[in-house]
Amino acid sequence: MHLTDEQLNEYLDNETANRAEIETHLDSCDECAARLSALQALFTDLDSLPEVTLPRDIAARFRPRPSLAPQLPHWLTLTATLQAAAALVALIVAIPFFSIMLPKVEMPSFTTWFFEIQSLWTSWLDTLSNLALSPIEGFQLPNYQFANLPTYPVELSTLFIALAIVSIFWIFGNGMLLRNNRS
Amino acid sequence: MNAPTDRDLILRARRGDAEAYGDLVARHQTSVFNVCYRILHNRADAEDLAQETFIRALDRLHTFDLEREFSPWIRRVAANLCLNHIESHKPSAPLDEERDEDKTQSPGEQVEVKERSEQIRSALASLPPHYRLVVELRHYQELSYDEIANELDIPLSDVKSHLFRARKLLVEKLHAPD
Repeated sequence: MHLTDEQLNEYLDNETANRAEIETHLDSCDECAARLSALQALFTDLDSLPEVTLPRDIAARFRPRPSLAPQLPHWLTLTATLQAAAALVALIVAIPFFSIMLPKVEMPSFTTWFFEIQSLWTSWLDTLSNLALSPIEGFQLPNYQFANLPTYPVELSTLFIALAIVSIFWIFGNGMLLRNNRS
Repeated sequence: MNAPTDRDLILRARRGDAEAYGDLVARHQTSVFNVCYRILHNRADAEDLAQETFIRALDRLHTFDLEREFSPWIRRVAANLCLNHIESHKPSAPLDEERDEDKTQSPGEQVEVKERSEQIRSALASLPPHYRLVVELRHYQELSYDEIANELDIPLSDVKSHLFRARKLLVEKLHAPD
């Protein structure tokens, strides 16, 4: 009775509990010993397979790529950031002074402009309809009057607040750009 | 100063340090490429699959158990990816000629080693994909039968039958009497 392929494989893989029993059989059976040698030769062949060199560096794909934009020196980035912060603080401090010291400017409100344009449009339509519909008796377009339209007072402080908001957006946007450049 | 361990690099890579992950890839790319090359026997496909392995690994890095070794894990990921690749693609390019050279050997010995390596690689490449995979896991990644069964999620009996049949086929191809 010879050893099975499974017994020989498990013996070489150290996956059997019957090593002594198998070795006793191998000592007395040339055929099984030859089969074991053939398997061992295969193991040697597989172990001898050399490692091949990698043709290209895969790691480069995962490393951060150098930015195409020129990198600003650290001191310049820091200076620009500090300047921006100082400008923002100065702007916030200056707003109350400007609102007190500068005179108010009266500007017509958007409502005024809107009603004036609407009035002009209506009168133009009125003229047109008079020309086209004159044969129809009794028809008359309503005639609106927009006298004493209100005006909307815009103080300089309001303008400065708007300017400050724009400045904040500008500083925030530039900060984001600098940060992207750095990464 | 000591070189950072794999664990250090993984922790840094998890925090978004691309340089650290690049170092980790550089450390393991050759062994991963060799896993792919042994299974696929085609350099271009092996390169692509090695790169794909590290992309997948990066995605799963946050779930990697830091108590385990990175090298066996990444090589098993590569082996599984290669199996999926074989099952879903027909070979797109002819199998490569062996190009290994050992500069320490004489030209005659180099030719002999090159020819024998090519025979072994060709014999491996001729095996069915599942056989190739169990040979890779057993002989090159040194997993036990149970570990292979667990890794491939197949019964232990299948592991044994795939491995023993694969070896039988390899012996017939490589040690057949002339």
